[in-house]
Amino acid sequence: MNFKSRTYWLFLLPTLLALLLVLIIPFFQGVYYSFTEYNGFQVTGFVGLDNYIKLFSDEQFLYSLGFTGAFSLASVIGINVIGLAFALLVTQKLGKASTFFRTVYFMPNLIGGIILGFIWQFVFLKAFTGISEVTGLEFFRGWLADTETGFWGLVILFVWQMSGYIMVIYISFLNNVPQELLEAATIDGANKWQSFWKVKFPLIIPAFTVSLFLTLSNAFKVYDQNMALTGGGPFGSTEMTTMNIYDTAFKVQEMGYAQSKAIVFLIVITLISVIQLYFTRKKETEL
Amino acid sequence: MKVRLFISLLILVSLMVACSSGESDDNNTASNGDEVVIDVFNIKVETTDQLNNLVEEYESENENVSINVTTVGGGQDAPSALQAKFSSGEEPSIFLLGGLSDTEKYSEYLLDVSDMESAKTAIDGTLDGATIDGTPYGIPLNIEGYGWMINKQIFEQAGVDPASIDSYQSFVEAVETIDAQKEELGIESVFAFSAKEDWVVSQFSSHFTAPEFDNNIQTAFKADQLNFEYGDRMKEYVDLFNQYNYQPILSLDYSTSVEELFANDQVAIIHQGNWIVPSLNSIDESFVKEKLGIVPLFVESDDEGKIVAGPSWYWGINKEKDEEVVEESKKFLDWMYTSDTGKDLIVNDFKYIPAHEGYDPEDISDPVSREVYEYLLNGKGKIWANNQYPDGFFSEALLPEFQKYLGDQQSWEEFEKNVSQSFTEMR
Repeated sequence: MNFKSRTYWLFLLPTLLALLLVLIIPFFQGVYYSFTEYNGFQVTGFVGLDNYIKLFSDEQFLYSLGFTGAFSLASVIGINVIGLAFALLVTQKLGKASTFFRTVYFMPNLIGGIILGFIWQFVFLKAFTGISEVTGLEFFRGWLADTETGFWGLVILFVWQMSGYIMVIYISFLNNVPQELLEAATIDGANKWQSFWKVKFPLIIPAFTVSLFLTLSNAFKVYDQNMALTGGGPFGSTEMTTMNIYDTAFKVQEMGYAQSKAIVFLIVITLISVIQLYFTRKKETEL
Repeated sequence: MKVRLFISLLILVSLMVACSSGESDDNNTASNGDEVVIDVFNIKVETTDQLNNLVEEYESENENVSINVTTVGGGQDAPSALQAKFSSGEEPSIFLLGGLSDTEKYSEYLLDVSDMESAKTAIDGTLDGATIDGTPYGIPLNIEGYGWMINKQIFEQAGVDPASIDSYQSFVEAVETIDAQKEELGIESVFAFSAKEDWVVSQFSSHFTAPEFDNNIQTAFKADQLNFEYGDRMKEYVDLFNQYNYQPILSLDYSTSVEELFANDQVAIIHQGNWIVPSLNSIDESFVKEKLGIVPLFVESDDEGKIVAGPSWYWGINKEKDEEVVEESKKFLDWMYTSDTGKDLIVNDFKYIPAHEGYDPEDISDPVSREVYEYLLNGKGKIWANNQYPDGFFSEALLPEFQKYLGDQQSWEEFEKNVSQSFTEMR
């Protein structure tokens, strides 16, 4: 027993060390900095809760929180609906084509956020303008030049990137739905629509727990896509919280203040994730 | 059992040691045989190749020196990268300073350069942007100037002689004349001001803020108020280009504005500086020689046109490095700006406008750069006031408020009020 627990800790040690060095220690350092005035070089003063008080009257920060929330809501819905639709599509009996589509749908996930941002910037600015010139449709004009198109541009980009990944999760759950249940449903006279909603759907609820959690937390933490696509513009109206924090830290050089924003942001994400987990867990069905 | 445990621990530890000592080995080999290693942190992406070329030349002349150039910039956040270098302890020996704010920030590392040859030969006043309490801490990299860059060919086809623009009114007339013939000239619009780029907006604002700060870098840096003394003229210019600009102006970026619209004769005027010369050259060799011109802005009075011209970057030397590294760094910079080889490369390879004396203006290769140089020598250059704004001011306050005005989200009065307020808060 003695030996066992020792090897146990020994094997755990490297990971623990890594976590301690890159996560836990910086976290506590961060909490400390959030109570100070810090420019990245030296702490110039201890200010107590001032940073936190200032933060609640910082309109741009509060706006960016709201914007990030709206963005997350739109993209979580978009990603899960499209991801599930893709999953249903490729689990049909399509033979070779099924593998092909799985690969294609998953591919955007392999491209980095910055590159994706630039690709879509090209699509929105150049391709869309081209389409509008050819067809004369006003809809394709002036994308990313106002808040609304900036917002939907970001949502489209992120949905496009994440759907394939979420699809994989849904596929694995869909494949685990026992065949005999579906057969029984068919014998009882259920059509495809009914057997999806009444049999498959309740059984893949655990997939929602995972997918919602992943998409929600990822949507809140989007930075690179935001930076590459809109850069927060026009007039800072598509600036997400992560970008606001980064800019406060590295452009305005107020590290301490940025740190306090980051901590508030962390609390917000944690709360939302915990609430979401609690509610979706409750809905899960056991066989 | 204990032995085995001990052995595995030992392996773990020795592995870690091996890893870390592996790195230091690399460093040792680099400085073998009394070789001095200088780390240069470069932000000017446009001239990376030229800098590498210059370094190679220097290394072949001085075999005991090895120079490593790290280049960060362009789309990346170079000042953050520099700060990260310092925070991580890999401080470079020579690095670029963007103005007094950088100089102040790194002042404890910076060497007093006043006894260096390249500081003595610097054109009067060009050291100001890196001088604190009378002590210069940086060598000016080059001179850069900006204003309205125009396509002279389009102007002439429209019947406007660029040289005849000698007042604000004649500039407006020229714009209107060109706009009236848009179809015949085959252009998209008169202006292509890229209001998406924070630095373009920031530089533009400098024309109007520099005179408010008495055209003095030190005053600009110490100012804790921005009152838009020349705000009315600024509004007139903004309304003018917004009316005749390529739309949507808010998502117009640098490359569309310069490399697509301007370089392909689709627009007549952009707000840029002489740094676009190399990229225009790479698209069309004849453009710069035959079509490119610069038109000043008329701010303080209706008929006195000025551009902004001056050094925007300074080479700082890290005095915390070993003495021999510091010595070699000084020699390298002196060589770069005062030796014949260095001078030749600066003008002909970098195509810089020199910030030092001892150059023949005739050597400057392109006409626009020569024009900028002459503006500066004739006292028609203004300071880069935008480089002395508070940290983050231009991207976090000026740009969003400016875009709000362009996008009809607020009035000019609100713009002035909000920007002034942020200026004081952020200082």
